[in-house]
Amino acid sequence: MDNELSRVVDALPGLVWTARPDGHIDFLNQRWCDYTGVSVDEAYGRGWQSAIHPEDLPELLERWQSILASGEPSEMEARLRRFDGEYRWFLFRACPLADASGAVVKWCGMNTDIEDRRRSEETQRAHWWLSSSAREHHFRSVGDDIPGLAALMTPAGQVEIANRQVLEYFGATLNELKGWAIADTVHLDDLPGVLAAWRGAVETGHPYDVEARLRRADGVYRWFHTHGFPLRDTDGRIVLWYLLQTDVDDRKRGDALLAGEKQLLELVAEGHSMSEILEAICRLIENTATGCYCSVVLVDPSGARLEHGAAPSLPASFITSIIGRPVNVDSGPCAMAASLNEQVIAADLTSETRWAAYAWCPMALAHGLQACWSTPISSTAGKVLGAFALYYDEPRTPTSLEQGLIEQFTYIASIAIERAQNDAALQRSEAFLAEAQHLSSTGSFSWRVATDEIMWSEQLYRIFEFDQGVPVTSELMGTRVHPEDVPLLNQMLDRSRGDGSDVEHEYRLQMPNRSVKYLHVVAHATRDQDGRLEYIGAVQDVTERRLSEEALGKVRSELAHVARVTSLGALTASIAHEVNQPLSGIITNASTCLEMLAADPPDVDGARTTARRTIRDGNRAADVITRLRALFSKKETTLESMNLNEAAREVIALLRSELQRSRMLLRTELADDLPPVTGDRVQLQQVILNLLRNATDAMNDVDDRPRELVIRTERDDDDRVRLTVQDAGVGFDRQAAGRLFEAFYTTKNGGMGIGLSVSRSIIESHQGRLWAAPNDGPGARFSFSIPRASGGATDSGPRAPEGVTDTHGLGVIRMPVAAARRVMRNT
Amino acid sequence: MVMRSLVSVVDDDESVRESLPDLLRAFGYAAQAFSSAEEFLASDCVCRTGCLILDVAMPSMSGPDLQRELTLRRKEIPIVFITAHQDESVRPRLLGQGAVECLFKPFSATALREALNAAFRVT
Repeated sequence: MDNELSRVVDALPGLVWTARPDGHIDFLNQRWCDYTGVSVDEAYGRGWQSAIHPEDLPELLERWQSILASGEPSEMEARLRRFDGEYRWFLFRACPLADASGAVVKWCGMNTDIEDRRRSEETQRAHWWLSSSAREHHFRSVGDDIPGLAALMTPAGQVEIANRQVLEYFGATLNELKGWAIADTVHLDDLPGVLAAWRGAVETGHPYDVEARLRRADGVYRWFHTHGFPLRDTDGRIVLWYLLQTDVDDRKRGDALLAGEKQLLELVAEGHSMSEILEAICRLIENTATGCYCSVVLVDPSGARLEHGAAPSLPASFITSIIGRPVNVDSGPCAMAASLNEQVIAADLTSETRWAAYAWCPMALAHGLQACWSTPISSTAGKVLGAFALYYDEPRTPTSLEQGLIEQFTYIASIAIERAQNDAALQRSEAFLAEAQHLSSTGSFSWRVATDEIMWSEQLYRIFEFDQGVPVTSELMGTRVHPEDVPLLNQMLDRSRGDGSDVEHEYRLQMPNRSVKYLHVVAHATRDQDGRLEYIGAVQDVTERRLSEEALGKVRSELAHVARVTSLGALTASIAHEVNQPLSGIITNASTCLEMLAADPPDVDGARTTARRTIRDGNRAADVITRLRALFSKKETTLESMNLNEAAREVIALLRSELQRSRMLLRTELADDLPPVTGDRVQLQQVILNLLRNATDAMNDVDDRPRELVIRTERDDDDRVRLTVQDAGVGFDRQAAGRLFEAFYTTKNGGMGIGLSVSRSIIESHQGRLWAAPNDGPGARFSFSIPRASGGATDSGPRAPEGVTDTHGLGVIRMPVAAARRVMRNT
Repeated sequence: MVMRSLVSVVDDDESVRESLPDLLRAFGYAAQAFSSAEEFLASDCVCRTGCLILDVAMPSMSGPDLQRELTLRRKEIPIVFITAHQDESVRPRLLGQGAVECLFKPFSATALREALNAAFRVT
């Protein structure tokens, strides 16, 4: 194109372009480039398409292809982007340029801005729609009666008609409103949602719903629900949008309050700190009751002063001047509310006369606060925990709505505070308990017998050396219990399940490193409201004590043995020395006497003298024996009617801990109908004690089977009563049975062998019999049998056994000397 | 005249002091009794004693104490210990320390005679 023509084309008041017959753009005038901001080089070929609105491009290209195919002049509409980014509607006109043969050699095109025309067309359509069917009149007459905001908007987003409520709400005339954009009425935070909904609706032509805060004439935003739906002309084209806006502010706030309350209760339940929760309460109130500042003060544990709770929006200087004030009616509204346990309303601090002594009002006014409503926060037990205050920067009296709000959140605050205080108390108490458990090596547990639910304290986990929190089962415990103690433990558990009696016993643990722990268990049986059995108990690790006791016991028994042996040895030596001296004299004198008589001549006088000395020394020896005899003073035996079961039970009680310590499984089979016997209770108990001790000693080295010990009483033949002690110990040789009861016969290391012989003499002095028999299995049983009390009745009174003389007539008898002496050796 | 050998008896037990010298004299020895080791050491019999019959356990100076004292004084007198404590371990110990014999009370006249014979053979 020559320069002249080029200048002409560029000067044309339109956007001009040319294209090759195939549609390829080969020229764009300067005005096109200026308008779109796209350079010529960029725009050639397909580059021009970037200036077309993406939504309009597909249709435009399609249309362009059909124009090219037809070879006829034609036009199409699309939005073209201006250099500043704004799209405006353009009319694209294209005319073919043909050669002589009629073939198209070029397309010439021009784009014209039709934005304004299109808008006015829409408006005209709306006006047509409204006027053509008297719908405007209808809208106006009905619109004002609609309980909400109603408006008609053009698809371009301009208000066309609005009812009275709209005008009143926004505080504008219809003409003013027509000049506003959507952004002028909607809360900034809600604007994106509103625009998206609106645009979506305009594009698709579907009705839409959106919720947003709309600014009222006084600047307050309220929540509205907008329902928009299209109005169409007879051709189905959308001419207007009908917007119905309903005030949902109360519901929204209610929802927000409910959500807030739920969130607060969740915070409480999740164990958030009290200050976190109180702050959340304050923020929620401040968001709900617009324009207020919220604070919570607490009453300190002594009840005397105010403590800080929460006040996220009040200045720190205000809070610090309240904290520490005494809880009384003079120091301020919160102190007064807490002190009286009554709500305090100070509606206008400028005219308030209370709290002058503490100059509270000037302080609050200096912080810009002009109203204060303070409400006490009470625990469920009625104790004042603190006060909850709302402040305003203008004089105000609470509405009933606000009172409801205050009541609701004072309650939640009380829950949070009480919960926090209870938690703190619980934590303190748990810490005390844990420390005490740690110090005393004592763990605690509960055991629901029916469901086998077992709960352990931390310390008990430590004692068993299990990871904290591992579910406790009897199987798990079984992996720690010493194998030898499993039967003992099972026996105990069975008994507990059965009768629900209190438990006290000891057992051992064997830890994975083979070390052994000794546990002492005490448990108390309780029943829950449904009568189900539950044990609450304590387990103490007594390993250290037990080991030192064992060491002590060992030393003690060694010492006792040494003492016994040495005392016996010393006694023997002393007796021998005392007797040997005179004996020596006797023999020497007698020898001298013989020598003198054998001399030639016999020294008769000398022999006589030495014979006299012999007699004297003999008497001396006899005196020694008498003195020794005097060491064994005589003692009388007391006979009474007695129950052998009771006597046995007393001995068992005496031995119980010893039996348990040596891990004996004691089974008592005491006959219920056992008749009484007459005897010396203490002596018979000594026999029982001796038999039980022997049985225990016999099983001390038994580790491959339960150390089962049975004590049994029963009626014997011939009106006699029999008591048997059976062990599962080492037993004895059948041939040795006869020798067992000889004095000084013993199968025990370190035993004296006196016990059984003494026992037999005691039983014999009761006209009884003591014997031993080996078991079929391991171990032996020792039994004695003594006559029942004559007369048979339990109230027959004490009687002397046959053959024993009752010298006092009071049931006190003198035993045969030999038996008495044997008994004495046992005492 | 034959100088009879002197046997000294040291024992805190009176019956021994009374009876034993008579028996020794009956055996043909000269005999002298002392109630303590100190008394014996203080006497003029120490040098003349051919055999010492000595109680093991005495209140102040014991029999073995006297034995040591005599060794220190180079008075090598054969000693026959006598004791009423029948402790079998005592005998070998005393014999090991140079005693001729150790007799447990009561002892027979024969045992005493044999011990004395042994004592005088030693010298």
